[in-house]
Amino acid sequence: MMALDLSQNKYSDVSMEEKDRLFAEAKADERWEHVLYGCYECGICVAACPSARFYDFSPRVIAQAVAREDTDLIYTLMADSIWDCSQCFSCDRCPRKNSPGQIITILREVSVKNGLKSAKEALQGYGRIIYKIMLTGTQVSPDMLQPDAFPDWGTHVYEIAENLDDWRKALPPETLHTTETSWVIDDKTIIELYLIWHMTGVMDLISGVDEGLYDIIVDVMEERLEEAGYDDVTFD
Amino acid sequence: MASENIIVIGGGPAGLEAARGVADLGYKAILVEKRDRLGGTPDEAQYAALTPDMRSAKEAMDEMRDAVTDNSGVELMLNTTVTGSEGELGNFVVKAEQGGKQIDIEAGAVILATGFQHFDPGRETQKYGYYEHDDVITLVDAEKMFTAGNFVRPSNGEKPKSVAFIQCVGSRDRQIGNEYCSKVCCGISSKQAIEVRHHCPDAKIYIFYIDMRMYGYWENEIYWPAQEKHKVNYIKGMATEILKQGDHLIVKGEDTTLRRPMEVPMDMVILAVGMEPSVGTKEMAEVFGVNKNKYGFIETIGGALNTVSTNVEGVFAAGACTGPADLEDSVSAAGSAVMKSIGAIRKAAVPA
Repeated sequence: MMALDLSQNKYSDVSMEEKDRLFAEAKADERWEHVLYGCYECGICVAACPSARFYDFSPRVIAQAVAREDTDLIYTLMADSIWDCSQCFSCDRCPRKNSPGQIITILREVSVKNGLKSAKEALQGYGRIIYKIMLTGTQVSPDMLQPDAFPDWGTHVYEIAENLDDWRKALPPETLHTTETSWVIDDKTIIELYLIWHMTGVMDLISGVDEGLYDIIVDVMEERLEEAGYDDVTFD
Repeated sequence: MASENIIVIGGGPAGLEAARGVADLGYKAILVEKRDRLGGTPDEAQYAALTPDMRSAKEAMDEMRDAVTDNSGVELMLNTTVTGSEGELGNFVVKAEQGGKQIDIEAGAVILATGFQHFDPGRETQKYGYYEHDDVITLVDAEKMFTAGNFVRPSNGEKPKSVAFIQCVGSRDRQIGNEYCSKVCCGISSKQAIEVRHHCPDAKIYIFYIDMRMYGYWENEIYWPAQEKHKVNYIKGMATEILKQGDHLIVKGEDTTLRRPMEVPMDMVILAVGMEPSVGTKEMAEVFGVNKNKYGFIETIGGALNTVSTNVEGVFAAGACTGPADLEDSVSAAGSAVMKSIGAIRKAAVPA
């Protein structure tokens, strides 16, 4: 396997001040002091890591770069490597109780909040899921079982897709008699969900990584909120 | 004429503890020291704080000195150099020079506690430029600075913004001939890194190492706090040389675990020099006919079960004259030497 490209100045177009600022933002996270103590560089995290088997990815390098406060290298990792983690937290077996996986969680959040190109690219394939979860509160829905959606799921998907409504109605709980969402979601829940998105500012994250998606979601939400009597709630 | 006195040669930690122990057991210790004061290397080199508990070295040495001073069981002979020895267990006559005068000291047994000396980083190799660059110092130089309470760059008197420790200087090196690990330097460097942090809160501090050897409680008492609380960066990789560039030193090495070469600018470099047998240790080995190992330390013959007996009956050795040792090792070995030497005298005194 090729070694990770740890060469410096790979992103020399980004200033050191900006790289320092991004790392300072990660360090300011209240979880930070519990995710990195000191690193023996023993490699137990890599040994346990499923992603390291398939990608050019090392949780040890993440921990080391962060321990060394090497903001140049950290930026390089944020631009690429941190998106190869599957967030399974197998690395939590560290004898020093470090958590490379949680370091990555925080670095990813910083990347999203700051609209880094890598975050946009990594989330590109998830537009449909983000759309669904933001608007319905559920992520996986039966109507995703379209013949062309997941070819690797096999030919039986054709049959299921054809009679989806019937299959769902065969399930005993009435709340599952739907195909557009995982289960039936009532209006009150939807409105409360949108109010939570509004109050927590979570939509700002989405506008940073996908402006078009943001516009579509906000349109739907503002309309539903207005119908429910929340005329004064706007996202801009 | 048999003597029940025990001569202890060397007034450092091992010798001080041995003399105190002999007196505590009701025998008489004759403590011989060539310098004009007691305390050995911790005193002579002006150690600041002990590893790992950060206790003042001066305070600890004072405690040890007090235990043998005005002690009716200890006869102190300062400014005294042993030059020869005759006799055997129960009947040693040790020749010494004191103020230009030859004296004979009668003793039933001998405890050698002549210690070590710090490796001279200018010996054999100049790659780190110790005698070339003002800002390249040793652990020993740093101790003096901490004792004086003023840790600054020798070149300009300013506080350093970056400090690197280089481990295993003069140890674990076949080129130099010192193949052994000096045992204490990892702990002392880590302890000093914490002291550097107190003096220079914003400095970048690095320790370049081959293996960190922080056994037992040194791990949690020194290593983890240095790394976790005091943000000392441990980088596995040896520096190959130190160059001067403008106002800075350039440390050239490899960051092995990140697999990339390093050329990092530093304001100060501290060489973690190891231990070698002191001149006194080598001389006393000759005087008493005691075997030395290939590195010049006194060889003890009992393996793990007896760390103080030598090939000469009635001559025992304790502390860093037998190999790299920390204070705990030295004091423990001194206690063992006291027990063995008194035991030997008592057995010899029983008529056959």
